[in-house]
Amino acid sequence: MPQSPALAFAFVAPALLFLAAILGWPLVQALALSMQDVRVIGSPGAFVGTANYERILAAPEFWRAAGLSVVWVVANAVLQTALALSAALVLAEKFPGVRVARTWIIITWIVPTVVVVVIWRWLFSTSGGIINPLLVQSGLIERPVGFFATPWTAMATLIFINSWRWFPFIALMILAGLLRIPGDLYEAARIDGAGTWSRFRYVTWPLLAPTLSVLAVIGTLLSFNVFDVIWLLTAGGPAGGSRTLPVLIYETAFKGYRLSEAATISVLATVFLMVFAVIATRTLEKGEAR
Amino acid sequence: MRTMLKAALAGATLLTPASAGVAQEKIELKLWHMEQPPHRVQRVQELIDAFNAANPDIVVTQEPQNWGEVYAKAPAAISAGQGPDLLFAIPDFTPILKDIGALTSVQDFVEELDAKHDFVDSAVDAYSYDGGVWAVPLYNMAMNLWYRKSVFQEAGIEVPTTWDEWKAAAEKLSADGVHGIGLPANKQLYTDQTVYSFMVNGGATEIYNEDGTLRFNNPETVASYKFYADMHKLSPADSTSWTWGEAEACFSSRSCAMVLQFSVIATYDSQAEGDANDLGVAAIPHAEGQEGHHTISYANAVMLLSKHEAKLQAAKKFVSFLLEPENYGRFLNMEPGLFMPVTADGAKAESFWSDPMVQKYRSQVETVIKNAENGRLFGFTSGRTFPSIAAISAQNIIAETLQNIVVNGQSAEEAVAAGQARMEDVAR
Repeated sequence: MPQSPALAFAFVAPALLFLAAILGWPLVQALALSMQDVRVIGSPGAFVGTANYERILAAPEFWRAAGLSVVWVVANAVLQTALALSAALVLAEKFPGVRVARTWIIITWIVPTVVVVVIWRWLFSTSGGIINPLLVQSGLIERPVGFFATPWTAMATLIFINSWRWFPFIALMILAGLLRIPGDLYEAARIDGAGTWSRFRYVTWPLLAPTLSVLAVIGTLLSFNVFDVIWLLTAGGPAGGSRTLPVLIYETAFKGYRLSEAATISVLATVFLMVFAVIATRTLEKGEAR
Repeated sequence: MRTMLKAALAGATLLTPASAGVAQEKIELKLWHMEQPPHRVQRVQELIDAFNAANPDIVVTQEPQNWGEVYAKAPAAISAGQGPDLLFAIPDFTPILKDIGALTSVQDFVEELDAKHDFVDSAVDAYSYDGGVWAVPLYNMAMNLWYRKSVFQEAGIEVPTTWDEWKAAAEKLSADGVHGIGLPANKQLYTDQTVYSFMVNGGATEIYNEDGTLRFNNPETVASYKFYADMHKLSPADSTSWTWGEAEACFSSRSCAMVLQFSVIATYDSQAEGDANDLGVAAIPHAEGQEGHHTISYANAVMLLSKHEAKLQAAKKFVSFLLEPENYGRFLNMEPGLFMPVTADGAKAESFWSDPMVQKYRSQVETVIKNAENGRLFGFTSGRTFPSIAAISAQNIIAETLQNIVVNGQSAEEAVAAGQARMEDVAR
């Protein structure tokens, strides 16, 4: 079959056009909006050049939100990966009910966000919740704790809830990677006298690393953009302690009525993510080449 | 037979355009409101059905919205030509739509309705600025102090009228795992409302000077925040994330002895004892040296957005229908005990007082109506309304100032000064 670049381009052109329409055009619009001074949706705006970028990059709130976004992404990545890897290792074993367990583990991921929020808000409540009484009865705390009362406890609680929600999805991805590792390798390692830890360290981990690397990139991009759980549980509070960049964008656009400034933050966040994605992808490609 | 069929077809052909012509003549009105609970939607639908039946040339349909989204959604929908013809509002919503040219004054219409039903003045005042009246008041909500009479009696406490008495009562009631008072400290509208309820009782009613500059940073505001922060120490630890529901739950579960709330009647009746004789409601105590009890009150209203004359007249007809005493009580009682009348004839309407829940809690409802007479709303007092109030309110800067005290540990003086700076920033 003749290989013509023009023909190849013709095949991918519809997909490229589709992507340009649904991704490229909104990005261009956001860029244009970031160089105007539009406040409320529907109101006119004048061209202001890079004034919004100068203001945003000089604003402490932006850098604080960016810092919290980094904390959010890293903490979620660590916790989700740890939980997911543990769950996947268990689910990779053969035991009665493993098929059911593999199906039902996904349930926290398919529950609608608002339901997750209502459940956890109630569980953590000091008025009628069950976590505080359990902790008091077990002697771990003396009096009920406000899990969303201080910036760092709110952030930690949000990270826990978000990781709880997402780890089953990642666990299934890791499980798929685990099940692809040939059983012969474990058998050979066992014959060579490798124990459980050695088999994990020298067989499982190296062969799972590519899967984990891809998940780290995808997980970072997905975690960075999480808005719903944070907004519904803390709305970025208390005192801005959980105001990540997506929350700041929403607040600026729809509570501060500064649509152009929100677009500016969005463009900056997009640039950060694109830089991260490019670096991560190249690193992965280099890893695969080796 | 064939002839009959032909005749029938010919008749149908002739009738179809005529029927379509009749259908096209109907004026369609789209109502957006933010009363989302199903029983409220159901009640609004009953009233719409009654109106549509009585007015065959008009078809009103409702599309319930969310308060959290409507501030962004409405301007977008209007600019896309998909906006509603009638849209419920609270006062700080109107400057946003007025600024994008979506509103025209309804002063003449409000005067006409006032002559017929006699509006509560403060309800109209909240929508009267810049030489016009920008929405038609529909119902009022005012914040009150809720408690259990039996709990006060057991503790030997009289209903507090001043801040000193209030604090002493809250401290005495804080025992055996019960919080003397449940006050929110979330960066959210409920906290704006409770803090301002303290401010109006501490002499800090105005946040603007006459020239539009801000006067938030003043000794009365600082004193109000200091007192609020003191009282908040007696509230549950997670009140920094509270909205209205958590406060009601705290009161219903008896974890909080007192709460500030527009109404707790519905939850008290369905989720707590439901003993009308034991449910106490009082005006919010005031600072020593201040006179009279004040509160925050929201006159909710409806904005008429259609630029099409026939639609505008139809919308006015629908609003007039809602305010007729025989309908108005049913409208208010979509949530009995929460929505209070803004018209004199509505306050006496049989349709309002005959509701079983209103009858059961009649004394509480009467107290709430009385308290609402001294209602104020930040940014809408003394006839001085400035557009920046929309952003100040939407960003919950009053609540944010409180969080700087109770979460970040700032002094009231520092936090209020920072609050004024934030208000000036968003007002730019």
